[in-house]
Amino acid sequence: MSAPVLSVRHLTKSYSSGGGLFGRPRTARVVDDVSFDILRGGAFGLVGESGSGKTTIGRLILRLVEADAGEIRLDGEDLRATSEAELRRLRRRMQIIFQDPFSSLDPRVRVGEAIAAPIRLHGLRKGSGVTDRVVELLELVGLGAHQIRRFPHEFSGGQRQRIAIARALAVEPDLIVCDEAVSALDLSIQAQVVNLLAELRARLGVSYLFISHDMAVVRHVATHVGVLYAGGLVEIGDASAVFGDPRHPYTRMLLAASPSPVPGAERQRRAIEGEPPSPFETIAGCRFASRCPLSIDACRVRRPPLSSWQNGAHEAACIRADGLERLRLLADEEERMSATYRLRLGLLRQARAERRNG
Amino acid sequence: MTGPAENQELLRIEGLRVSFGTGPAIVDGVDLDLAPGRILCLVGESGSGKSLTALSLMKLLPPHARIAAEALRFEGRDLQVLSEREMTALRGDRLAMVFQEPMTSLNPVMTIGEQIVEAVRQHRPASRSEARAMALQMLKRVQIPAAQERMDVYPHQLSGGMRQRVMIAIALVCRPSLLIADEPTTALDVTIEGQILALIDELRTELGTAVLFITHNLAVVAEIADEIAVMYAGRVVERGSRAAIFSDPQHPYTLSLFAAMPRADDVGRALAAIDGQVPSAGAMPPGCRFALRCPFAVGQCESAYPPMREMSAGHRVACWRAPLEEAVATAGSA
Repeated sequence: MSAPVLSVRHLTKSYSSGGGLFGRPRTARVVDDVSFDILRGGAFGLVGESGSGKTTIGRLILRLVEADAGEIRLDGEDLRATSEAELRRLRRRMQIIFQDPFSSLDPRVRVGEAIAAPIRLHGLRKGSGVTDRVVELLELVGLGAHQIRRFPHEFSGGQRQRIAIARALAVEPDLIVCDEAVSALDLSIQAQVVNLLAELRARLGVSYLFISHDMAVVRHVATHVGVLYAGGLVEIGDASAVFGDPRHPYTRMLLAASPSPVPGAERQRRAIEGEPPSPFETIAGCRFASRCPLSIDACRVRRPPLSSWQNGAHEAACIRADGLERLRLLADEEERMSATYRLRLGLLRQARAERRNG
Repeated sequence: MTGPAENQELLRIEGLRVSFGTGPAIVDGVDLDLAPGRILCLVGESGSGKSLTALSLMKLLPPHARIAAEALRFEGRDLQVLSEREMTALRGDRLAMVFQEPMTSLNPVMTIGEQIVEAVRQHRPASRSEARAMALQMLKRVQIPAAQERMDVYPHQLSGGMRQRVMIAIALVCRPSLLIADEPTTALDVTIEGQILALIDELRTELGTAVLFITHNLAVVAEIADEIAVMYAGRVVERGSRAAIFSDPQHPYTLSLFAAMPRADDVGRALAAIDGQVPSAGAMPPGCRFALRCPFAVGQCESAYPPMREMSAGHRVACWRAPLEEAVATAGSA
């Protein structure tokens, strides 16, 4: 990991709504001055609640939606300043995987053809080379050559998401935007796809913008993370720093609201109040102040900028951040498990290893 | 398990089978029971039959669905022999349901107040103003701020979390004895999910409503369940109290689900995925349906379906190999 593959600066997007015959149109700022880098071979996790702007950011980067202001640089080239023809060339290097593997594949197109189309479109292989490449990609994502002539409906949800990944990889992209790519999958299948994404990053050096509301999954996938609230980043940095010592009260609230249940441990309760502000609201100070248990008058006066923590390992936008005690997150999960569960978990791992080794 | 509530029976399902037309059984021999005021979580992955189980209780399946059961008893009445008219009287009154997506269940052109009033007047001989008073009281109960003003707003003017509160208000306004909640928090943000779970828990204590809570999310189960039934491929494979299932998971499928969860102390390691996939309904193996994916499976598992066995009071599992530590030790010494 070295230079950023993607660099986003001061990205901003607003929508107008209403107006009607007599009313004044209202403006909602859904992405507000967002900046971050994705390192080559890295996985940048973008987390936040619905309406926080995370999906819009993914779309702005791919220019599926046009930004109002800001810079998006792919390997230094400003995507917002390029012509249509240039953009097509650059788009090959960025792909997207959506949440719903059922609606992102054309039901009438055989999966081999769905994967081959982008290879032909960009002229990456010719003749029988295309089929060879399709087979290679199917095998890469854990499917087989015998499945090349099947239709999407013949596959399960997890397999379809593998097909979507194979199709994204077909054009040898530098960056894949994963927009809630594992959120709709069942737990057992989600684990398979998360492992596959990690393996592909290690093998191919592809980078991810991993958009998700699921903190537990992001903690597993991301090398870096940005926490969005109401359109703005409130915390950003190394995943280990942000998850290990979150400084923004909102990051802490999100983590507290996403318990991964520890088998055998006591019942956990989430005590979270309030809802995010409407994007139509104009907020002078910190956007989170209305929900923040630590807010003081000063929080409502001026919006706090991101400032550095732990020698720059992460940044948080909170004037109360240095008063916070270090949060003991669930690093001691293994200890909190029941002895019986731990014993059986050991048996399961052992039995699986034996089975895999024949 | 002791206490008066647990000895009473609100709901009993025995040997429930659901199929469509001449197709294979999608729900294939489900047994469940529920006492008044308790929360039973029905856990399973998509296609495991958990929603079909709930919908067959409500008799809300399409006409070509075939439901058969040895027992399907609610408040002492056999649901199988009730006419459609009797079912209509029951639904929304004694037996209510909330779904995953409140926006598709609410009427977009009616104010939420009117929708609750309608739910009351369907089942109670209340005047319009009496029903309106009940509706307002219920909106306050589900903790909708400024309830009085919110009576006159339309669903699209509310957030997802507020809409789900309205759905719960509609479901509970007639004080049903059983609420079926089918993934009621899946479409919500985690912070809002926590609020809705707390609300459901509070209301069942306050109103004495039992809840059949359907979910695939183990974090939700950990938070709200009194009892748990784990479903796999149309069957219940393990049942017990929340404490029993979480601290003493017996079925390899239950164990594998727990192991597949991303954990804080697991970062950097591959997740423990379950190899393979659920067999399709038309091609169920004769034995245990999890056998092909199970690292503990032996010959017996593939040939004969394991009966439910009681491992401790109220904790039952359908697995030939449970308890696993004994099975593994025996295999090692043999």
